[in-house]
Amino acid sequence: MIAFEHVGKRYGGRFEALADINFSVQRGEMVFLTGHSGAGKSSLLRLIMRLERPSRGRILVAGYDIDRLHTSQIPFYRRQIGVVFQDHQLLFDRDVFANVALPLEIQGVEPHEAARRVRAALDKVGLLHREKALPIELSGGEQQRIGIARAVVNKPALLLADEPTGNLDPQLSADIMRLFEDFNRIGTTVMIASHDLALIARLRHRVLRLRDGRLIADEHAAREAV
Amino acid sequence: MSSGASRRNEGRAAAPASRAAAPRRGARSHRTGLDSRLRAWSRHHRAMARDSAHRLLRRPLGSLLTMVAIAIALILPCALWLVMDSAKALDTELDESATLTVYLSASLGEHQAMDVADTLRAQPGVAGARLVTAAEGMAEFQQALGLEDALSELEENPLPASIIVSPRDVSPQAVNELSGQLDDVEGVDEVRLDMAWLERLNRLAELGQRLTLALGVLFGLGVLLIVGNTIRLAVESRRQEIEVVTLIGATHAFVRRPFLYSGAWYGLGGGLLAWGMLTLGGQWLAAPVQALAQSYGATFVMPSLGTEGSAILLVSSTLLGWLGSWIAVSRHLKDIRPR
Repeated sequence: MIAFEHVGKRYGGRFEALADINFSVQRGEMVFLTGHSGAGKSSLLRLIMRLERPSRGRILVAGYDIDRLHTSQIPFYRRQIGVVFQDHQLLFDRDVFANVALPLEIQGVEPHEAARRVRAALDKVGLLHREKALPIELSGGEQQRIGIARAVVNKPALLLADEPTGNLDPQLSADIMRLFEDFNRIGTTVMIASHDLALIARLRHRVLRLRDGRLIADEHAAREAV
Repeated sequence: MSSGASRRNEGRAAAPASRAAAPRRGARSHRTGLDSRLRAWSRHHRAMARDSAHRLLRRPLGSLLTMVAIAIALILPCALWLVMDSAKALDTELDESATLTVYLSASLGEHQAMDVADTLRAQPGVAGARLVTAAEGMAEFQQALGLEDALSELEENPLPASIIVSPRDVSPQAVNELSGQLDDVEGVDEVRLDMAWLERLNRLAELGQRLTLALGVLFGLGVLLIVGNTIRLAVESRRQEIEVVTLIGATHAFVRRPFLYSGAWYGLGGGLLAWGMLTLGGQWLAAPVQALAQSYGATFVMPSLGTEGSAILLVSSTLLGWLGSWIAVSRHLKDIRPR
Protein backbone atom coordinates (compact mmCIF):
# COMPACT_ATOMS: atom_id res chain seq x y z
CA MET A 1 0.00 0.00 0.00
CA ILE A 2 2.76 2.41 0.98
CA ALA A 3 6.41 2.11 0.01
CA PHE A 4 9.19 4.57 0.86
CA GLU A 5 12.40 4.15 -1.11
CA HIS A 6 15.39 6.16 0.13
CA VAL A 7 13.15 9.09 0.90
CA GLY A 8 14.71 12.30 2.20
CA LYS A 9 13.16 15.65 2.93
CA ARG A 10 15.00 18.89 3.50
CA TYR A 11 13.43 22.20 4.34
CA GLY A 12 15.12 25.36 3.16
CA GLY A 13 18.12 23.43 1.89
CA ARG A 14 19.62 22.80 5.32
CA PHE A 15 17.28 21.34 7.89
CA GLU A 16 16.95 17.65 7.23
CA ALA A 17 13.52 16.52 8.41
CA LEU A 18 13.81 13.00 6.99
CA ALA A 19 16.81 11.06 5.75
CA ASP A 20 16.95 7.84 3.76
CA ILE A 21 13.64 6.39 4.90
CA ASN A 22 12.88 2.89 3.66
CA PHE A 23 9.85 0.84 4.59
CA SER A 24 6.74 -0.62 3.11
CA VAL A 25 3.28 -1.17 4.48
CA GLN A 26 1.07 -3.91 3.11
CA ARG A 27 -2.58 -3.44 2.25
CA GLY A 28 -4.67 -4.03 5.38
CA GLU A 29 -1.84 -3.44 7.83
CA MET A 30 -2.05 -1.26 10.93
CA VAL A 31 1.15 0.65 11.67
CA PHE A 32 2.19 3.08 14.39
CA LEU A 33 4.68 5.80 13.75
CA THR A 34 6.47 6.98 16.87
CA GLY A 35 9.22 9.30 17.92
CA HIS A 36 9.68 12.53 19.81
CA SER A 37 8.11 15.62 18.45
CA GLY A 38 10.33 16.89 15.67
CA ALA A 39 11.44 13.36 14.81
CA GLY A 40 9.72 13.62 11.45
CA LYS A 41 6.36 11.90 12.00
CA SER A 42 4.29 14.74 10.65
CA SER A 43 6.65 15.32 7.74
CA LEU A 44 6.30 11.69 6.79
CA LEU A 45 2.50 11.87 6.86
CA ARG A 46 2.56 15.11 4.89
CA LEU A 47 4.64 13.38 2.24
CA ILE A 48 2.09 10.58 1.96
CA MET A 49 -0.72 13.11 1.66
CA ARG A 50 1.26 14.81 -1.08
CA LEU A 51 1.20 18.09 0.82
CA GLU A 52 4.92 18.12 0.24
CA ARG A 53 7.28 16.42 -2.15
CA PRO A 54 10.34 14.45 -1.12
CA SER A 55 13.73 16.01 -1.76
CA ARG A 56 15.09 12.60 -2.56
CA GLY A 57 13.78 9.10 -3.17
CA ARG A 58 10.45 7.74 -4.24
CA ILE A 59 7.09 7.22 -2.52
CA LEU A 60 4.67 4.68 -3.89
CA VAL A 61 1.09 4.63 -2.69
CA ALA A 62 -1.19 1.91 -4.05
CA GLY A 63 1.46 1.30 -6.70
CA TYR A 64 1.64 4.90 -7.93
CA ASP A 65 4.68 7.11 -7.70
CA ILE A 66 2.89 10.03 -6.09
CA ASP A 67 5.62 12.49 -6.99
CA ARG A 68 4.57 12.07 -10.60
CA LEU A 69 0.97 13.04 -9.98
CA HIS A 70 -0.12 16.03 -11.98
CA THR A 71 -1.38 18.95 -9.89
CA SER A 72 -4.89 18.38 -11.21
CA GLN A 73 -4.76 14.73 -10.08
CA ILE A 74 -3.79 15.49 -6.49
CA PRO A 75 -7.34 16.17 -5.23
CA PHE A 76 -8.47 12.83 -6.61
CA TYR A 77 -5.50 11.11 -5.01
CA ARG A 78 -6.33 12.68 -1.63
CA ARG A 79 -9.88 11.38 -1.83
CA GLN A 80 -8.45 7.86 -1.45
CA ILE A 81 -6.97 8.81 1.91
CA GLY A 82 -8.85 9.50 5.11
CA VAL A 83 -7.02 11.83 7.46
CA VAL A 84 -7.56 12.37 11.19
CA PHE A 85 -5.86 15.39 12.73
CA GLN A 86 -4.81 16.02 16.30
CA ASP A 87 -6.93 19.16 16.35
CA HIS A 88 -9.60 17.33 14.30
CA GLN A 89 -10.05 20.37 11.98
CA LEU A 90 -13.83 20.44 12.16
CA LEU A 91 -15.65 23.40 10.65
CA PHE A 92 -17.42 25.26 13.42
CA ASP A 93 -19.92 27.08 11.23
CA ARG A 94 -21.90 23.94 10.41
CA ASP A 95 -23.37 21.02 12.30
CA VAL A 96 -21.93 17.56 12.82
CA PHE A 97 -23.83 16.09 9.90
CA ALA A 98 -22.50 18.70 7.45
CA ASN A 99 -18.95 18.22 8.75
CA VAL A 100 -19.02 14.48 8.19
CA ALA A 101 -20.73 14.94 4.81
CA LEU A 102 -17.97 17.26 3.54
CA PRO A 103 -15.86 14.62 1.73
CA LEU A 104 -18.98 13.27 0.05
CA GLU A 105 -20.04 16.75 -0.98
CA ILE A 106 -16.61 17.27 -2.52
CA GLN A 107 -16.94 14.03 -4.44
CA GLY A 108 -20.43 14.91 -5.60
CA VAL A 109 -22.19 11.99 -3.95
CA GLU A 110 -25.93 12.17 -4.44
CA PRO A 111 -27.52 13.71 -1.26
CA HIS A 112 -29.72 10.76 -0.41
CA GLU A 113 -26.83 8.34 -0.61
CA ALA A 114 -24.58 10.81 1.24
CA ALA A 115 -27.05 11.07 4.13
CA ARG A 116 -27.13 7.30 4.41
CA ARG A 117 -23.34 7.06 4.51
CA VAL A 118 -22.97 9.94 6.96
CA ARG A 119 -25.40 8.28 9.38
CA ALA A 120 -23.59 4.97 9.00
CA ALA A 121 -20.26 6.66 9.80
CA LEU A 122 -21.74 8.52 12.77
CA ASP A 123 -23.29 5.30 14.01
CA LYS A 124 -19.91 3.63 13.76
CA VAL A 125 -18.28 6.22 16.04
CA GLY A 126 -21.31 6.15 18.35
CA LEU A 127 -22.50 9.71 17.76
CA LEU A 128 -25.53 9.23 15.56
CA HIS A 129 -27.68 11.06 18.10
CA ARG A 130 -25.52 14.20 17.83
CA GLU A 131 -25.85 14.78 14.08
CA LYS A 132 -27.63 18.12 14.56
CA ALA A 133 -25.19 19.40 17.16
CA LEU A 134 -22.58 22.03 16.40
CA PRO A 135 -18.98 20.91 16.94
CA ILE A 136 -18.55 23.56 19.64
CA GLU A 137 -21.18 21.77 21.75
CA LEU A 138 -19.21 18.53 21.78
CA SER A 139 -16.49 17.32 24.14
CA GLY A 140 -12.93 16.85 22.93
CA GLY A 141 -13.36 13.11 22.61
CA GLU A 142 -16.59 13.52 20.70
CA GLN A 143 -15.02 16.08 18.36
CA GLN A 144 -12.22 13.65 17.61
CA ARG A 145 -14.73 10.90 16.87
CA ILE A 146 -16.52 13.25 14.46
CA GLY A 147 -13.14 13.86 12.83
CA ILE A 148 -12.73 10.10 12.44
CA ALA A 149 -16.24 9.73 11.04
CA ARG A 150 -15.38 12.37 8.45
CA ALA A 151 -12.15 10.56 7.58
CA VAL A 152 -13.86 7.23 6.97
CA VAL A 153 -17.16 8.36 5.46
CA ASN A 154 -15.96 7.91 1.89
CA LYS A 155 -14.48 4.50 2.69
CA PRO A 156 -10.84 5.30 2.01
CA ALA A 157 -8.40 2.51 1.40
CA LEU A 158 -5.85 4.27 3.58
CA LEU A 159 -6.46 6.00 6.90
CA LEU A 160 -3.82 8.35 8.28
CA ALA A 161 -3.93 9.85 11.76
CA ASP A 162 -1.59 12.47 13.19
CA GLU A 163 -1.59 12.28 17.02
CA PRO A 164 -5.29 11.45 17.13
CA THR A 165 -5.24 11.03 20.92
CA GLY A 166 -2.92 13.90 21.67
CA ASN A 167 -5.42 15.90 23.70
CA LEU A 168 -7.41 13.04 25.24
CA ASP A 169 -7.25 11.19 28.55
CA PRO A 170 -6.12 7.52 28.58
CA GLN A 171 -9.62 6.04 28.62
CA LEU A 172 -10.79 8.11 25.64
CA SER A 173 -7.53 7.43 23.84
CA ALA A 174 -8.05 3.71 24.20
CA ASP A 175 -11.58 4.08 22.80
CA ILE A 176 -10.29 6.00 19.80
CA MET A 177 -7.61 3.40 19.13
CA ARG A 178 -10.18 0.63 19.31
CA LEU A 179 -12.12 2.50 16.64
CA PHE A 180 -9.06 2.51 14.40
CA GLU A 181 -8.61 -1.21 15.02
CA ASP A 182 -12.21 -1.79 13.95
CA PHE A 183 -11.59 -0.04 10.64
CA ASN A 184 -8.36 -1.96 10.20
CA ARG A 185 -10.16 -5.24 10.83
CA ILE A 186 -12.42 -4.66 7.82
CA GLY A 187 -9.49 -4.09 5.49
CA THR A 188 -8.52 -0.42 5.76
CA THR A 189 -4.80 0.23 5.91
CA VAL A 190 -4.18 2.38 8.99
CA MET A 191 -1.13 4.46 9.84
CA ILE A 192 -1.12 6.38 13.13
CA ALA A 193 1.52 8.84 14.26
CA SER A 194 1.61 8.95 18.05
CA HIS A 195 4.02 9.44 20.91
CA ASP A 196 1.79 7.67 23.42
CA LEU A 197 4.22 4.78 23.85
CA ALA A 198 2.33 3.03 26.64
CA LEU A 199 -0.83 2.85 24.60
CA ILE A 200 1.04 1.67 21.50
CA ALA A 201 2.80 -1.05 23.46
CA ARG A 202 -0.52 -2.41 24.69
CA LEU A 203 -1.99 -2.55 21.21
CA ARG A 204 0.71 -4.78 19.71
CA HIS A 205 0.86 -3.58 16.15
CA ARG A 206 3.81 -2.92 13.94
CA VAL A 207 5.76 0.16 15.06
CA LEU A 208 8.02 2.41 12.98
CA ARG A 209 10.33 4.42 15.20
CA LEU A 210 11.77 7.72 14.00
CA ARG A 211 14.56 9.70 15.60
CA ASP A 212 15.97 12.89 14.11
CA GLY A 213 14.48 12.11 10.74
CA ARG A 214 15.84 8.57 10.56
CA LEU A 215 14.01 5.30 10.82
CA ILE A 216 15.72 3.62 13.77
CA ALA A 217 13.44 0.64 14.26
CA ASP A 218 10.75 -1.28 12.41
CA GLU A 219 9.24 -3.62 14.97
CA HIS A 220 6.98 -6.35 13.70
CA ALA A 221 7.84 -8.45 16.70
CA ALA A 222 5.46 -6.95 19.21
CA ARG A 223 2.87 -9.64 18.67
CA GLU A 224 5.29 -12.54 19.03
CA ALA A 225 6.93 -11.00 22.06
CA VAL A 226 3.85 -11.62 24.17
CA MET B 1 -21.77 -0.29 6.78
CA SER B 2 -18.05 -0.58 6.78
CA SER B 3 -17.76 -4.22 5.87
CA GLY B 4 -19.98 -3.53 2.89
CA ALA B 5 -17.81 -0.55 2.15
CA SER B 6 -14.61 -2.52 2.00
CA ARG B 7 -16.18 -5.15 -0.19
CA ARG B 8 -17.21 -2.46 -2.60
CA ASN B 9 -13.74 -0.98 -2.53
CA GLU B 10 -12.24 -4.32 -3.45
CA GLY B 11 -14.75 -4.63 -6.23
CA ARG B 12 -13.68 -1.26 -7.57
CA ALA B 13 -10.03 -2.16 -7.42
CA ALA B 14 -10.70 -5.33 -9.37
CA ALA B 15 -12.74 -3.56 -12.02
CA PRO B 16 -10.03 -3.16 -14.71
CA ALA B 17 -9.36 -6.91 -14.71
CA SER B 18 -13.01 -7.87 -14.97
CA ARG B 19 -13.85 -5.28 -17.59
CA ALA B 20 -12.57 -7.46 -20.43
CA ALA B 21 -14.82 -10.27 -19.30
CA ALA B 22 -17.91 -8.10 -18.97
CA PRO B 23 -17.52 -5.16 -21.34
CA ARG B 24 -21.20 -4.20 -21.29
CA ARG B 25 -21.30 -3.68 -17.58
CA GLY B 26 -18.14 -1.64 -17.71
CA ALA B 27 -19.51 0.62 -20.41
CA ARG B 28 -22.77 1.15 -18.63
CA SER B 29 -21.17 2.03 -15.34
CA HIS B 30 -18.91 4.47 -17.14
CA ARG B 31 -21.87 6.21 -18.72
CA THR B 32 -23.80 6.52 -15.47
CA GLY B 33 -20.57 7.72 -13.87
CA LEU B 34 -20.32 10.63 -16.27
CA ASP B 35 -24.01 11.36 -15.96
CA SER B 36 -23.96 11.36 -12.17
CA ARG B 37 -20.81 13.47 -12.15
CA LEU B 38 -22.58 16.02 -14.34
CA ARG B 39 -25.55 16.00 -12.01
CA ALA B 40 -23.28 16.36 -8.98
CA TRP B 41 -21.56 19.27 -10.70
CA SER B 42 -24.76 21.15 -11.42
CA ARG B 43 -26.05 20.30 -7.94
CA HIS B 44 -22.97 21.88 -6.41
CA HIS B 45 -23.38 24.94 -8.63
CA ARG B 46 -26.95 25.40 -7.44
CA ALA B 47 -25.96 24.83 -3.83
CA MET B 48 -23.11 27.34 -4.04
CA ALA B 49 -25.27 29.95 -5.80
CA ARG B 50 -27.77 29.63 -2.95
CA ASP B 51 -25.13 29.47 -0.24
CA SER B 52 -23.24 32.54 -1.45
CA ALA B 53 -26.49 34.50 -1.80
CA HIS B 54 -27.33 33.57 1.81
CA ARG B 55 -23.90 34.69 2.96
CA LEU B 56 -24.47 38.05 1.26
CA LEU B 57 -27.89 38.44 2.84
CA ARG B 58 -26.54 37.51 6.26
CA ARG B 59 -24.60 40.78 6.38
CA PRO B 60 -26.87 43.03 4.33
CA LEU B 61 -25.18 46.34 5.12
CA GLY B 62 -21.69 45.24 4.09
CA SER B 63 -23.01 43.63 0.92
CA LEU B 64 -25.05 46.70 0.08
CA LEU B 65 -22.04 48.98 0.53
CA THR B 66 -20.01 46.86 -1.88
CA MET B 67 -22.84 46.91 -4.39
CA VAL B 68 -23.27 50.68 -4.08
CA ALA B 69 -19.54 51.12 -4.73
CA ILE B 70 -19.87 48.95 -7.84
CA ALA B 71 -22.98 50.87 -8.92
CA ILE B 72 -21.20 54.21 -8.63
CA ALA B 73 -18.32 52.90 -10.71
CA LEU B 74 -20.78 51.73 -13.36
CA ILE B 75 -22.97 54.83 -13.47
CA LEU B 76 -20.42 57.33 -14.74
CA PRO B 77 -19.43 55.55 -17.97
CA CYS B 78 -23.07 54.54 -18.53
CA ALA B 79 -24.30 58.11 -18.17
CA LEU B 80 -21.61 59.37 -20.53
CA TRP B 81 -22.54 56.65 -22.98
CA LEU B 82 -26.18 57.72 -22.83
CA VAL B 83 -25.24 61.33 -23.53
CA MET B 84 -23.02 60.26 -26.43
CA ASP B 85 -25.78 58.06 -27.75
CA SER B 86 -28.29 60.89 -27.88
CA ALA B 87 -25.64 63.17 -29.39
CA LYS B 88 -25.11 60.54 -32.07
CA ALA B 89 -28.83 60.55 -32.83
CA LEU B 90 -28.59 64.32 -33.23
CA ASP B 91 -25.51 63.88 -35.38
CA THR B 92 -27.15 61.51 -37.86
CA GLU B 93 -30.03 63.92 -38.15
CA LEU B 94 -27.55 66.62 -39.10
CA ASP B 95 -25.76 64.29 -41.48
CA GLU B 96 -28.99 63.64 -43.30
CA SER B 97 -29.49 67.35 -43.75
CA ALA B 98 -25.97 67.76 -45.14
CA THR B 99 -26.42 69.03 -48.67
CA LEU B 100 -24.40 70.79 -51.32
CA THR B 101 -25.69 73.84 -53.03
CA VAL B 102 -24.66 73.97 -56.69
CA TYR B 103 -25.01 77.46 -58.22
CA LEU B 104 -25.46 77.52 -61.96
CA SER B 105 -24.14 80.12 -64.35
CA ALA B 106 -26.50 83.06 -64.49
CA SER B 107 -26.58 82.83 -68.27
CA LEU B 108 -28.36 79.46 -68.30
CA GLY B 109 -31.99 79.35 -69.27
CA GLU B 110 -34.58 77.28 -67.43
CA HIS B 111 -34.37 74.29 -69.82
CA GLN B 112 -30.61 74.23 -69.69
CA ALA B 113 -30.79 74.32 -65.90
CA MET B 114 -33.06 71.25 -65.96
CA ASP B 115 -30.54 69.47 -68.17
CA VAL B 116 -27.77 70.21 -65.68
CA ALA B 117 -29.97 68.90 -62.86
CA ASP B 118 -30.44 65.65 -64.83
CA THR B 119 -26.70 65.38 -65.36
CA LEU B 120 -26.11 65.80 -61.64
CA ARG B 121 -28.72 63.20 -60.77
CA ALA B 122 -26.87 60.71 -62.97
CA GLN B 123 -23.66 61.12 -60.93
CA PRO B 124 -22.90 58.03 -58.84
CA GLY B 125 -22.37 59.91 -55.58
CA VAL B 126 -25.62 61.80 -55.77
CA ALA B 127 -28.70 60.60 -53.89
CA GLY B 128 -31.00 63.36 -55.08
CA ALA B 129 -30.99 66.77 -56.71
CA ARG B 130 -33.65 69.44 -56.50
CA LEU B 131 -33.64 72.34 -58.91
CA VAL B 132 -34.36 75.72 -57.45
CA THR B 133 -35.01 78.12 -60.35
CA ALA B 134 -34.02 81.75 -60.13
CA ALA B 135 -37.63 82.72 -59.47
CA GLU B 136 -38.08 80.09 -56.75
CA GLY B 137 -34.80 81.13 -55.19
CA MET B 138 -36.02 84.69 -55.08
CA ALA B 139 -39.29 83.66 -53.48
CA GLU B 140 -37.48 81.63 -50.78
CA PHE B 141 -35.12 84.49 -50.19
CA GLN B 142 -37.94 86.96 -49.79
CA GLN B 143 -39.78 84.69 -47.43
CA ALA B 144 -36.76 84.03 -45.31
CA LEU B 145 -35.82 87.69 -45.00
CA GLY B 146 -39.26 89.22 -45.00
CA LEU B 147 -38.07 91.78 -47.56
CA GLU B 148 -40.75 91.17 -50.16
CA ASP B 149 -41.39 94.81 -50.88
CA ALA B 150 -37.80 95.89 -51.13
CA LEU B 151 -36.83 93.04 -53.40
CA SER B 152 -39.84 93.39 -55.65
CA GLU B 153 -38.46 96.80 -56.47
CA LEU B 154 -35.57 95.11 -58.26
CA GLU B 155 -36.05 95.05 -61.98
CA GLU B 156 -34.02 91.97 -62.59
CA ASN B 157 -33.68 88.83 -60.48
CA PRO B 158 -30.02 88.89 -59.34
CA LEU B 159 -30.09 85.27 -58.11
CA PRO B 160 -28.83 82.40 -60.24
CA ALA B 161 -30.68 79.11 -60.41
CA SER B 162 -29.29 76.52 -58.01
CA ILE B 163 -29.51 72.79 -57.42
CA ILE B 164 -29.67 71.30 -53.94
CA VAL B 165 -27.74 68.01 -54.04
CA SER B 166 -28.00 65.39 -51.29
CA PRO B 167 -24.93 63.19 -51.30
CA ARG B 168 -25.20 59.44 -51.01
CA ASP B 169 -22.25 59.22 -48.60
CA VAL B 170 -22.30 61.93 -45.95
CA SER B 171 -18.77 61.41 -44.59
CA PRO B 172 -16.78 64.66 -44.87
CA GLN B 173 -14.24 63.10 -47.21
CA ALA B 174 -16.84 61.78 -49.66
CA VAL B 175 -18.73 65.05 -49.64
CA ASN B 176 -15.53 66.92 -50.43
CA GLU B 177 -14.79 64.63 -53.34
CA LEU B 178 -18.29 64.94 -54.71
CA SER B 179 -18.05 68.68 -54.49
CA GLY B 180 -14.98 68.61 -56.77
CA GLN B 181 -16.76 66.35 -59.24
CA LEU B 182 -19.81 68.56 -59.43
CA ASP B 183 -17.67 71.63 -59.94
CA ASP B 184 -16.43 70.12 -63.23
CA VAL B 185 -19.91 69.71 -64.67
CA GLU B 186 -20.65 72.16 -67.47
CA GLY B 187 -22.96 74.97 -66.54
CA VAL B 188 -21.96 74.84 -62.86
CA ASP B 189 -20.66 78.07 -61.51
CA GLU B 190 -19.88 77.23 -57.93
CA VAL B 191 -20.36 74.45 -55.40
CA ARG B 192 -20.85 75.52 -51.79
CA LEU B 193 -20.72 73.40 -48.71
CA ASP B 194 -20.08 74.25 -45.13
CA MET B 195 -17.86 71.42 -44.02
CA ALA B 196 -16.07 72.91 -41.08
CA TRP B 197 -18.84 72.50 -38.53
CA LEU B 198 -19.65 69.00 -39.76
CA GLU B 199 -16.05 67.95 -39.34
CA ARG B 200 -15.85 69.52 -35.94
CA LEU B 201 -18.97 67.74 -34.83
CA ASN B 202 -17.66 64.44 -36.10
CA ARG B 203 -14.37 64.90 -34.27
CA LEU B 204 -16.22 65.82 -31.12
CA ALA B 205 -18.31 62.68 -31.41
CA GLU B 206 -15.19 60.57 -31.87
CA LEU B 207 -13.55 62.19 -28.88
CA GLY B 208 -16.65 61.48 -26.83
CA GLN B 209 -16.68 57.86 -27.89
CA ARG B 210 -13.06 57.36 -26.97
CA LEU B 211 -13.61 59.10 -23.66
CA THR B 212 -16.53 56.81 -22.92
CA LEU B 213 -14.45 53.77 -23.80
CA ALA B 214 -11.51 54.89 -21.68
CA LEU B 215 -13.76 55.67 -18.73
CA GLY B 216 -15.57 52.39 -19.22
CA VAL B 217 -12.30 50.45 -19.08
CA LEU B 218 -11.07 52.47 -16.09
CA PHE B 219 -14.24 52.07 -14.09
CA GLY B 220 -14.52 48.42 -15.14
CA LEU B 221 -11.11 47.95 -13.54
CA GLY B 222 -12.52 49.77 -10.53
CA VAL B 223 -15.30 47.19 -10.28
CA LEU B 224 -12.74 44.39 -10.52
CA LEU B 225 -10.78 45.92 -7.66
CA ILE B 226 -13.85 46.46 -5.48
CA VAL B 227 -15.05 42.90 -5.94
CA GLY B 228 -11.52 41.53 -5.70
CA ASN B 229 -10.93 43.20 -2.37
CA THR B 230 -14.25 42.06 -0.94
CA ILE B 231 -13.62 38.51 -2.07
CA ARG B 232 -10.07 38.58 -0.73
CA LEU B 233 -11.49 39.29 2.72
CA ALA B 234 -14.06 36.53 2.30
CA VAL B 235 -11.32 34.06 1.32
CA GLU B 236 -9.29 35.12 4.34
CA SER B 237 -12.23 34.62 6.68
CA ARG B 238 -12.82 31.11 5.33
CA ARG B 239 -9.18 30.13 5.30
CA GLN B 240 -9.55 27.18 7.65
CA GLU B 241 -12.43 25.79 5.64
CA ILE B 242 -10.39 26.08 2.45
CA GLU B 243 -7.45 24.29 4.07
CA VAL B 244 -9.65 21.47 5.30
CA VAL B 245 -11.48 20.87 2.03
CA THR B 246 -8.17 20.98 0.16
CA LEU B 247 -6.82 18.32 2.51
CA ILE B 248 -9.73 16.03 1.86
CA GLY B 249 -9.54 16.27 -1.89
CA ALA B 250 -11.38 19.36 -3.07
CA THR B 251 -10.35 20.62 -6.50
CA HIS B 252 -9.47 24.26 -7.06
CA ALA B 253 -12.72 24.64 -8.99
CA PHE B 254 -14.67 23.36 -5.98
CA VAL B 255 -12.94 25.81 -3.66
CA ARG B 256 -13.36 28.71 -6.09
CA ARG B 257 -17.00 28.14 -6.86
CA PRO B 258 -18.73 29.77 -3.85
CA PHE B 259 -16.51 32.85 -4.21
CA LEU B 260 -17.22 33.13 -7.92
CA TYR B 261 -20.92 33.12 -7.18
CA SER B 262 -20.44 35.76 -4.47
CA GLY B 263 -18.59 37.91 -6.99
CA ALA B 264 -21.30 37.42 -9.59
CA TRP B 265 -23.99 38.34 -7.04
CA TYR B 266 -22.09 41.48 -6.07
CA GLY B 267 -21.77 42.39 -9.75
CA LEU B 268 -25.42 41.73 -10.47
CA GLY B 269 -26.51 43.68 -7.38
CA GLY B 270 -24.27 46.59 -8.34
CA GLY B 271 -25.59 46.46 -11.91
CA LEU B 272 -29.20 46.53 -10.72
CA LEU B 273 -28.48 49.46 -8.42
CA ALA B 274 -26.74 51.33 -11.24
CA TRP B 275 -29.67 50.59 -13.53
CA GLY B 276 -32.14 51.88 -10.94
CA MET B 277 -30.14 55.02 -10.28
CA LEU B 278 -29.77 55.75 -14.00
CA THR B 279 -33.49 55.30 -14.56
CA LEU B 280 -34.42 57.46 -11.59
CA GLY B 281 -31.81 60.07 -12.51
CA GLY B 282 -33.10 60.17 -16.07
CA GLN B 283 -36.63 60.77 -14.86
CA TRP B 284 -35.45 63.39 -12.42
CA LEU B 285 -33.63 65.29 -15.15
CA ALA B 286 -36.23 64.79 -17.88
CA ALA B 287 -38.54 67.67 -16.95
CA PRO B 288 -35.93 70.48 -16.76
CA VAL B 289 -34.11 69.18 -19.85
CA GLN B 290 -37.32 69.12 -21.85
CA ALA B 291 -38.26 72.60 -20.68
CA LEU B 292 -34.82 73.83 -21.70
CA ALA B 293 -35.07 72.17 -25.11
CA GLN B 294 -38.52 73.63 -25.64
CA SER B 295 -37.27 77.13 -24.92
CA TYR B 296 -34.93 76.61 -27.89
CA GLY B 297 -37.82 75.31 -29.96
CA ALA B 298 -36.30 71.86 -30.14
CA THR B 299 -37.65 68.48 -29.12
CA PHE B 300 -35.27 66.43 -27.07
CA VAL B 301 -35.91 62.85 -26.09
CA MET B 302 -34.30 61.92 -22.78
CA PRO B 303 -31.92 59.03 -23.54
CA SER B 304 -32.64 55.71 -21.80
CA LEU B 305 -30.84 52.40 -21.70
CA GLY B 306 -33.67 50.45 -23.31
CA THR B 307 -33.96 46.68 -23.08
CA GLU B 308 -30.73 45.96 -24.89
CA GLY B 309 -28.71 48.50 -22.94
CA SER B 310 -30.12 47.26 -19.64
CA ALA B 311 -29.25 43.68 -20.55
CA ILE B 312 -25.72 44.67 -21.53
CA LEU B 313 -25.29 46.60 -18.27
CA LEU B 314 -26.50 43.73 -16.09
CA VAL B 315 -24.62 41.01 -17.95
CA SER B 316 -21.36 42.91 -18.01
CA SER B 317 -21.59 43.93 -14.34
CA THR B 318 -22.24 40.30 -13.40
CA LEU B 319 -19.31 39.16 -15.52
CA LEU B 320 -17.07 41.83 -14.02
CA GLY B 321 -18.00 40.64 -10.53
CA TRP B 322 -17.30 37.06 -11.49
CA LEU B 323 -13.97 37.97 -13.08
CA GLY B 324 -12.87 40.11 -10.14
CA SER B 325 -13.63 37.25 -7.82
CA TRP B 326 -11.80 34.77 -10.04
CA ILE B 327 -8.66 36.89 -10.02
CA ALA B 328 -8.80 37.40 -6.25
CA VAL B 329 -9.45 33.74 -5.41
CA SER B 330 -6.85 32.41 -7.81
CA ARG B 331 -4.25 34.75 -6.37
CA HIS B 332 -5.03 33.81 -2.79
CA LEU B 333 -5.46 30.09 -3.26
CA LYS B 334 -1.77 29.97 -4.01
CA ASP B 335 -1.01 31.44 -0.58
CA ILE B 336 -3.27 29.04 1.25
CA ARG B 337 -1.46 25.78 1.72
CA PRO B 338 -2.69 23.31 4.27
CA ARG B 339 -0.53 23.20 7.38
